Amino acid sequence: MLACSLRCDALGVTYRSQGGAPVRALAGLDLEVRRGEFVSVIGPSGCGKTTLLHILAGLLEPTSGSFQFFEQDGRNSRTALVFQENSLFPWMSVMENAAFGLEMHGVGKAERERRASRMLERLGLAGRERDYPRQLSTGMKQRVAVVRAFVSQAPVLLMDEPFAALDRQTRMRAQRELVELWESEKKTVVFVTHDVDEALLLSDRIVVLSGSPGTVLAEYRVSMERPREFLLGPDEESYELKRQILASLGLMTSLSRYSVAL
Amino acid sequence: MTKARRLLGSAWLIALLLACWEAMSRLRILDPLFFPAPSILLQTLEKLTVSGEVGRQVMNTLERTAVGFGVGVICGVAVSVALTLSATLRRASEPLISALYSTPRLTLLPMVMLLVGVNDTARILLVAMGTALLMIIQISDAVRAVNRDFVDMAVNYGAGPLAVIRKVYLPACLPQGFTALRLAFSRALVLTISVELLNCDDGVGSMIWSAWQTFAIEKLYVSIALAGALGLFFQWFFLRLERRLTPWKEQPA
Repeated sequence: MLACSLRCDALGVTYRSQGGAPVRALAGLDLEVRRGEFVSVIGPSGCGKTTLLHILAGLLEPTSGSFQFFEQDGRNSRTALVFQENSLFPWMSVMENAAFGLEMHGVGKAERERRASRMLERLGLAGRERDYPRQLSTGMKQRVAVVRAFVSQAPVLLMDEPFAALDRQTRMRAQRELVELWESEKKTVVFVTHDVDEALLLSDRIVVLSGSPGTVLAEYRVSMERPREFLLGPDEESYELKRQILASLGLMTSLSRYSVAL
Repeated sequence: MTKARRLLGSAWLIALLLACWEAMSRLRILDPLFFPAPSILLQTLEKLTVSGEVGRQVMNTLERTAVGFGVGVICGVAVSVALTLSATLRRASEPLISALYSTPRLTLLPMVMLLVGVNDTARILLVAMGTALLMIIQISDAVRAVNRDFVDMAVNYGAGPLAVIRKVYLPACLPQGFTALRLAFSRALVLTISVELLNCDDGVGSMIWSAWQTFAIEKLYVSIALAGALGLFFQWFFLRLERRLTPWKEQPA
């Protein structure tokens, strides 16, 4: 069993809405992620998925409960974010964007460019280092954002629907590349998505959140071997899992005779 | 070829108008006393240039503009930073700034003169005020428009407050900052020439006014054209600078 990477205990966030009424975004959320694990968080929109990532990224204080990282190196950032859009700084070149995390932690220019260019090359971005983001397609931009997360020394990657804006073909390619990178770089990934197929394709474990306030509704272990190509034709195991997840999201009420694994 | 063609594309109308003016003045369809032909104006320009008057007056105007602009930019940026850092200060000064911004700057000249005397300091101070107000409004706007995602991203990747300013706020505000500089300089130039026209013994503005009062029509046209040319030149100069320094921006065709 792998060591624990991060743990949330009864995490809760309440903020005041414009009208002054308190809104509970998260309530009593427990989550444990092991080192090197790929966990997807799925749930209806407005269930606090993004709020959870913001807390883990250190951008938001929870109003109740606590969370803890179990990573040794306290000098580096513990997490590296990838957003759906606005991930890249428009005023920095591809190389400067990709090496940003290293730069912020004082890695010398030659060394950080060496590390970033190796990873850029792996994702087919060699030769684009001096380009600015506006010169790249959406797919390329997201790949650079993924590179930046992997190149940074952060052990935990937080991804907020990074491929949601991509067309289907580009997304499939990006998903495959992400899994390959993750397998070779051994990082912990918390991946927020609203796409059950994507979660099944990528993750070791899928956490389903309930709608407002967000709390863990169900968890599913995905043990199928990688690379997973089952989207071409669903096999028995993924089919059953998908049905259970959709049921727990309340999207398959007619099949409620199948028990929901809580 | 394309460059020459582009030049031709933007010059033919002006050339045509000048040619019409020339012809009408020479054929006395226009009174040459009021509308001397452009070729004669060109000779006047040459004469005034050789005598050194053009250079002297342009330098006087540019000096006032540059000092007023410089002081105004520095004060404007400093005030903007203070307003960004303190919400209390921002709320308190917002009505004051809006009020000053909507008052025609030239009307404040008498007040400034009561304050510091009828001298160049007053004139330059007015130019500085105009510049500073425009910078404050533009910069506050730019800072407010910085996307929160970029700040979050930088903080998450380990950027401290200084790095966030240097790596996010500064470059994010730079394009609008340049636009502000360009607008502020042309504003400063207009203000300088207006002040000179109203109350001054030298500079392009006073050249226009004294030419009018002594009915030196040719000199009048030449000095008006000078004022226009100065504005045009600096507009072009700041656009060039802007493109050079913000290469990540999409360039308008």
